[in-house]
Amino acid sequence: MSRNLNSVRSNWDWWLTSIILALMLLGLVNLYSAAYNPERTFLFDIRALYGKQIMWMGIGIFLGVVISLIDSEFIRKLTPAAFLVVTVLLVVVLFSRPIHGARSWLGFGSFGIQPSEFAKVTTALMLAFLIGQGRIKQITKKKVFQVLILVFGTMSLILAQNDTGTFLVFTAFFFVMYREGITFDPIILYFLNKLLGLRYKSTWVGVHFIPVLFGVIFFSIITLYFAESKHSFYFLPSIDVPGWAVLVTIMTVLGLCIAMLVNQLSTARTKRRVLSVVLISYLGSILLIGSVSFGYLQVLQSHQKDRIDLWLGKIEDKDGKDYNRNRALAAVGSGGFSGNGYQQAVLASPQSNHVPESETDFIFCVYAEEWGFMGSLLLVFLFTTLLIRLIVIAERQRSRFARVYAYSVAMIIFYHFAINIGMNVGLLPVIGIPLPFFSYGGSAMMAFSVMFFILLKLDSQRKDVLAT
Amino acid sequence: MNLEGRRIVFLVLFILVSIIYSVRLFYMQVIDDRWMTRAAEVSQKRIDVKPPRGILLDRYGNKVVGNKTYYNLMFVEDIIKDLDTAALAKLLGLEYHEIGERFEEIRVSLDRKTRSKKTGNDTVVNDYRSYMPYAFMSELTAEEIAGIASELFYFPGFYEETVSMRDYPYPNGGHIFGYLNEIRPHELEKDRYFYKMGDFIGRAGLEREYEKELRGLKGTKFLITSARGKAVDNFADGKLDTFALQGPSLQLGLDIELQAYGEELMKNKLGCIVAIEPATGEILAMVSSPSFDPNQLVGSRNIRVNYPLLDTNKLLPLFNRGIQAEYPPGSILKLVQSLVGMQEGVITENTSFPCTKGLVGCHSHPQANSVSDALQYSCNPYFYFCVRRIIQQGKQPSIFRDAQVGLNVWENYMHSFGLGIKMETDIFGIRPGVIPNVAFYNNWYGEHRWAWSTIRSISIGQGEVKLTPLQMANIAVIMANSGWYYTPHFVKNIGENGFRSEFSIKHTTLVDSIHYSAVQEGMRRAVNEPGGTARRAIIEDIIVAGKTGTAQNPHGEDHSIFIAYAPFEKPKIAISVFIENAGFGGTWAAPIASLMIEKYLKGEVSDTIKERRILDANLIMK
Repeated sequence: MSRNLNSVRSNWDWWLTSIILALMLLGLVNLYSAAYNPERTFLFDIRALYGKQIMWMGIGIFLGVVISLIDSEFIRKLTPAAFLVVTVLLVVVLFSRPIHGARSWLGFGSFGIQPSEFAKVTTALMLAFLIGQGRIKQITKKKVFQVLILVFGTMSLILAQNDTGTFLVFTAFFFVMYREGITFDPIILYFLNKLLGLRYKSTWVGVHFIPVLFGVIFFSIITLYFAESKHSFYFLPSIDVPGWAVLVTIMTVLGLCIAMLVNQLSTARTKRRVLSVVLISYLGSILLIGSVSFGYLQVLQSHQKDRIDLWLGKIEDKDGKDYNRNRALAAVGSGGFSGNGYQQAVLASPQSNHVPESETDFIFCVYAEEWGFMGSLLLVFLFTTLLIRLIVIAERQRSRFARVYAYSVAMIIFYHFAINIGMNVGLLPVIGIPLPFFSYGGSAMMAFSVMFFILLKLDSQRKDVLAT
Repeated sequence: MNLEGRRIVFLVLFILVSIIYSVRLFYMQVIDDRWMTRAAEVSQKRIDVKPPRGILLDRYGNKVVGNKTYYNLMFVEDIIKDLDTAALAKLLGLEYHEIGERFEEIRVSLDRKTRSKKTGNDTVVNDYRSYMPYAFMSELTAEEIAGIASELFYFPGFYEETVSMRDYPYPNGGHIFGYLNEIRPHELEKDRYFYKMGDFIGRAGLEREYEKELRGLKGTKFLITSARGKAVDNFADGKLDTFALQGPSLQLGLDIELQAYGEELMKNKLGCIVAIEPATGEILAMVSSPSFDPNQLVGSRNIRVNYPLLDTNKLLPLFNRGIQAEYPPGSILKLVQSLVGMQEGVITENTSFPCTKGLVGCHSHPQANSVSDALQYSCNPYFYFCVRRIIQQGKQPSIFRDAQVGLNVWENYMHSFGLGIKMETDIFGIRPGVIPNVAFYNNWYGEHRWAWSTIRSISIGQGEVKLTPLQMANIAVIMANSGWYYTPHFVKNIGENGFRSEFSIKHTTLVDSIHYSAVQEGMRRAVNEPGGTARRAIIEDIIVAGKTGTAQNPHGEDHSIFIAYAPFEKPKIAISVFIENAGFGGTWAAPIASLMIEKYLKGEVSDTIKERRILDANLIMK
């Protein structure tokens, strides 16, 4: 046992630990300013937000220390149980009273927890558990289905809570699947070969779905931008053609042109194959345009549609619907090169309160206004270093379980960082998710602490397991 | 399949995003100052600090228009807690249901119609904000707030706020001072810098004329405010703030005691007294009867109640007769006519005309053998002949053309006396009176269709001739000064900067000063010699020179008119008195003028019988 502990200590990743501690400290310092209460100036005052945050942090670290005493193999074995518990909580939470339209809080007395924050950790563990199961490297159809059921199942529970932000974070797991070589081929091939009568052995799309994802995002933004607009043409003066129809027309014309070119240029042997690729891409893009347009125009709630429109600059409503974002951007932008100084924020200070939610989702505003570009750069740098370090750690794992988990942690942190900061600087629409270690929130604080301690523990024991 | 290579995708993604964010942050925070401007727009607030208005002093330094502190009972809905409506109603002396109604009234008053750009439909937007202060009751006096303020402790969310409003120590001179009222949209449009909605602005009289001086200099405070508009901090430590500066006090030529005495004398009479210091043109008093107490029009609460009453009163108390009423001058115009006659050389001071009552009516009096005689007796035929010679000078063979030439000459003389033109004094609403000219008669009768016999009634100040009481008083000024005047005005000192430069321009009449002595002698005799028409204006040990007028009035009793100046040798006061429908000028106007003169020169009145007679008289035509 003592040998074991020694090995844990010597293999502990102090780099990652230092970065996390630095972020925690910076986050706490910033929260003290963001939630400053002139009547409760004592940092550890439990009635002020910073006091509470310290308490959550303490609980998180305590849980983490307990976890780090558990053997990593035992952690792996505990995974299904933990996942089950949190999943039950995710179901239970659906019967709670909605707060701000989302049923994501489980109340215990005056304190509440958000099971969805813990679900990120347990889903990551469960994903690692499923992928790491067995010794065969081969990805079977069964395993793909298991993974998909796990991710989509959890996502649908989150969606049922009406928590769009957390829902989006769960798409992070697709990146992890990509790294692990999980392909959608079994499903796609089933459709293509069995239903359409083609004879493919593999598809590029099914394997490289992440590059495809970027293409999808790109096309989606274009579709969102044009879906609603009206176009009239000189040859059709009396009819306003909606943007999505124009896009479909353009794609059709483009598809036909390419098909004709292929028909002329390719040899008879490859013709059929290439033409079917063109046809499938065409159908895929039409499906994408159609579903994005339909979702955007018909399914989205009006405030969600407004957020997208405001982000894309289609509508402007500085003091109305765009109030939060506009004030947030003004706060960030007015920080200047070196900032207003600590506790000197004009817009984002708790006294003036121009930026709503400045202790939670918009806490970066306080930081950016007070610390300026220099501070913001430091924060971006710290998070980027953290992410790169996580990848380094992930790649050195011998067990598949640990690697999948490490990648999951990296992608979850990346999502939180990218979406939160992106929203605060106006590059992304308003999506309410916390900035790790900065935003006030007990569940998130505890979940992130536990998440990192598990990773550190797994990493410290990386040499104890055989490569899988 | 080389899966390890796929980590590159992750690393590239992370680094790319951090580069994009860093560049974006650099652009937002360092390069683009749009957000800096927006932040200032959102968080900084300019607060205008309005000083109390400048005050008005009379010629002896008595404060006649001052400021008084009033109180608004304010509330902020968000701070109100457990409101005891019954207790509040009792405290404010209101009915229980009125409390709720008042809240609703304030809310509704902030409804605003807007037209949607998208649909073109009108929608009502309510600007009421529960975190903003509004006045629950406004313009409470110190006495009214005293009972309330001590109890406000029990009503969190309610507090008092001071406002400066006008105060008039004397209940006189309302016509002169004017009043303040809430600014109107078109006035606001003209000066967006100084005013905002709900400000008070000078609405009439001197308040209106000297608005720019009296309002003072606005101060500005720059604050950092919270999202709810609450001040959080001073902007830039208050370095950019400027202080408000009260407007300069205006010293008037007015004698408030004389004004008050005049208003007292004019009770139950319709008409006007205007008194001017001849040497300076300063107006000593301007009484328009009926008058009103200016305190009646302080603040919107009072205005709402009292203005409609004053405005609909048949006796027109808001009408400043001194400058706005155009009356037939009657015989007082004979003074000017005789001067024009002598200057034109058509008569001399010793010209004699028979009193032929056939052409124009007259009363019985000795034969007028000179200008002085004619004025002493106010002989109508004398001036008929005199003015006929002015109008029909025989320069043209046709009497019609001749009358045109003559009338032009006469009109120029009249204008030089300030008649028929607007004397641009420093009070709003002045009227020019009417001096009929060639164009006037051509329009009326047709060109070359009128001559002397058509227009003869102008000779005795009847017919088409109309003057304001200010112009009548100014005739007395010109007589006292032997031929010149300054434009009559109220303000003699704006702060320490003297008066407006246009009031130092000496206006000289077209009549040489040598001709005035005969007229002055006539005026002296009219009061002081037996047979004079204005014997009631006589004052022991002060020689008054005056001229009566009795203007015939087709609608009723004649108007009683008198102008005078005194003392005869060294004139200190020139005065006009006009009493509507009171009969002969010597009966009412002359004694009132003499009382005013004595009051001004001696400070008190010796002839209490005369005074009592005037005070007791009710001359309002029933």
